[in-house]
Amino acid sequence: MEKLPTEGGIATILANPNPDSGSDLPEIVLQVVDLRPIGNSSTRYTFMASDGKMKVKAMLPTHFASEINSGNLQNLGLIRVLDYTLNSIPNQTEKALIVTKCEVVASSFDSEIKSEVKKETEMENEAIKAKKEEAAPSIVLKPKQEPIVKSAMQIVKEERGNAAPAARLSMTRRVHPLVSLNPYQGNWTIKVRVTNKGNLRTYRNVKGEGHVFNVELTDEDGTQIQATMFNEAAKKFYPKFELGKVYYISKGSLRIANKQFKTVQNDYEMTLNENAIVEEAEGEVFIPETKYNFVKIDQLGSYVNSRELIDVIGIVQNVSSTLSIRRKSDNETIPKRDITIADDSNKTVVVSLWNDLATNIGQELLDIVDTSPVVAIKSLKVGEFQGVSLSTVSKSVVQINPDLPEAHKLRTWYDSEGKGASMASIGSDMASPNTKNGSRSMYSDRVFLSHITSDPSLGHDKPEFFSINAYISLIKGDQNMWYRACKTCNKKVSEASESGYWCEACGKSDDQCSLRYIMVLKVSDPTGEAWLSVFNEQAEKIIGCSADELERIKNEEGDDQYQMKLKEAMWVPHLFRVSVTQNEYMGEKRQRITVRSQALVDPTTESKYLLEEIAKLSV
Amino acid sequence: MDASSHAVFVNGELLKLHICQRVRTVVQVMQNEGGTVLGQSTDNQQLTVKGATSVPVTHFMEVIGVADGPQSILAEICTDFGSNFDAASFNGLCKLANGEFKNFYL
Repeated sequence: MEKLPTEGGIATILANPNPDSGSDLPEIVLQVVDLRPIGNSSTRYTFMASDGKMKVKAMLPTHFASEINSGNLQNLGLIRVLDYTLNSIPNQTEKALIVTKCEVVASSFDSEIKSEVKKETEMENEAIKAKKEEAAPSIVLKPKQEPIVKSAMQIVKEERGNAAPAARLSMTRRVHPLVSLNPYQGNWTIKVRVTNKGNLRTYRNVKGEGHVFNVELTDEDGTQIQATMFNEAAKKFYPKFELGKVYYISKGSLRIANKQFKTVQNDYEMTLNENAIVEEAEGEVFIPETKYNFVKIDQLGSYVNSRELIDVIGIVQNVSSTLSIRRKSDNETIPKRDITIADDSNKTVVVSLWNDLATNIGQELLDIVDTSPVVAIKSLKVGEFQGVSLSTVSKSVVQINPDLPEAHKLRTWYDSEGKGASMASIGSDMASPNTKNGSRSMYSDRVFLSHITSDPSLGHDKPEFFSINAYISLIKGDQNMWYRACKTCNKKVSEASESGYWCEACGKSDDQCSLRYIMVLKVSDPTGEAWLSVFNEQAEKIIGCSADELERIKNEEGDDQYQMKLKEAMWVPHLFRVSVTQNEYMGEKRQRITVRSQALVDPTTESKYLLEEIAKLSV
Repeated sequence: MDASSHAVFVNGELLKLHICQRVRTVVQVMQNEGGTVLGQSTDNQQLTVKGATSVPVTHFMEVIGVADGPQSILAEICTDFGSNFDAASFNGLCKLANGEFKNFYL
């Protein structure tokens, strides 16, 4: 028996795609090339069936898999095809040979067998010679060469041979811009600089002790993202990441950023676990473009005391001299300089520059203050000193007269109108949020309920103030609406043994007390709902009568009348000035919203406010 | 006449863009004689309202009807809005209802 693939075997098969199973097939021996399993299966194998000249994609019968698994038939081995079907693959010119019955001829071979090329060339030469000799154009019988149909995959495979895919990252590295990252595509590599490195912190939770640390990463376009590492990954990467160095990172995971802890402008945040790959980029020096996200001065109110660092741009109106501030924590003195900037929202704000920024940039600004330079500052903390104040932090960046479109816009505005305009400090709008003049403060820091309820960290160390416009949607009649109060000092009194009420604060008892409201009510606005704590003064205005009166109605006129009084207060819109704090209750952090002042919605003023807000939307 | 069921908010300036269409507006009554009211629109233009019910002078009146001229409306419904009315806010509303947000008012 010949142990060689049958010459023209593939051609025979191609010519006869569906032989009758019973009929005698001509001898077809083929070499099994590129034998591999389909997917993870151990019963289905695919290979290229070769007759030395042509190849066709083929599949072995599943029952034959045992021959392969036992080593009886290996790659480059020979099989005799006893029964087969040739299928057409839709949308492709190539066919697939489904071997239904075969037997092993040779278990393996050293290499792929290719028929002698010499023979072919000889035949070709003969044909050409014959052509030349014949004067008359007689039909020259050239050996018909079947066109070899190869699929792209075949060609690529042949060219690459059986080389393993490039394992080293640097060979296949394709850097993705940070802005293109999303949680649904995991196959990325980024090239970033560490622009901020946090400390390795230890925490304790239900599961025990853990370690965590963050880094802020910036890429060449200026896009930033925060990356967090926990436990093992934290320990592994903490020494690896160095501030200012550039790294190639892959195999991190992305998720929507937690608003509470967000310090950079990115919808996503990254987590790196132990499987992440971090490689230092040797000799890479790129300075990421500083990407700004400017906030107009009149919008700063809502960022007061937030963790989020903001960017501003404005014309410098004033530069103070350097002050030395002594830091309470370690008695160290730090230089500080205050500059006043204005922008086209016609408001001014004071920015405190610290340390190097105070001494160097601050001096520069002082020298050129008469030219009313434009200054752009990135990463400022918003505080509430004197209403609204801005402060630099260690990673703040200050640029004087930057070449940005906003800078040019400001320059034109200032030269035309800003110079002469008298502008108020945004701080003065904020400084007294609790003025008795309810209507004015009801329009500053106006937010929707969702702004408060969606951010649980609001007011975590200091209460934050907002105005809201909401409808009272529920007053529960069965809550403790009031408490017994001392007629003199309004503090809670306790019932003394003889009929009378004892006031701890005044140190005396009285047989009369007054009832003061203390209740929670539910409010709703187009964005959601919330529970507000309300005290006596505002509750009286909402319900329309004093707590004493309401108790009288409840006792004397009956529960129906009492409920009616509460119902009448519902679905009335009010403007509320509220304070938001975060307290702990039974180990859980809870948000508490307290009403500080209340006013009924005045349609005219509210309409004016709405028209202004709508006008701002379309700019 | 095109009398589709929805009336567009207009002021004096915008009325002429909706001739033969159903409009609604508020005017301050200046003169009142025999079913015709001379009113001042919220953007200080003179409008004539035909077939209007009698509303006292200086009161604000809402008119819903069909515009039959650049400064004239044939009234279908008239309502006395009294004297407490903020013309500026209504004017702002008319501009929004015809401007880039007009889709919200369809």
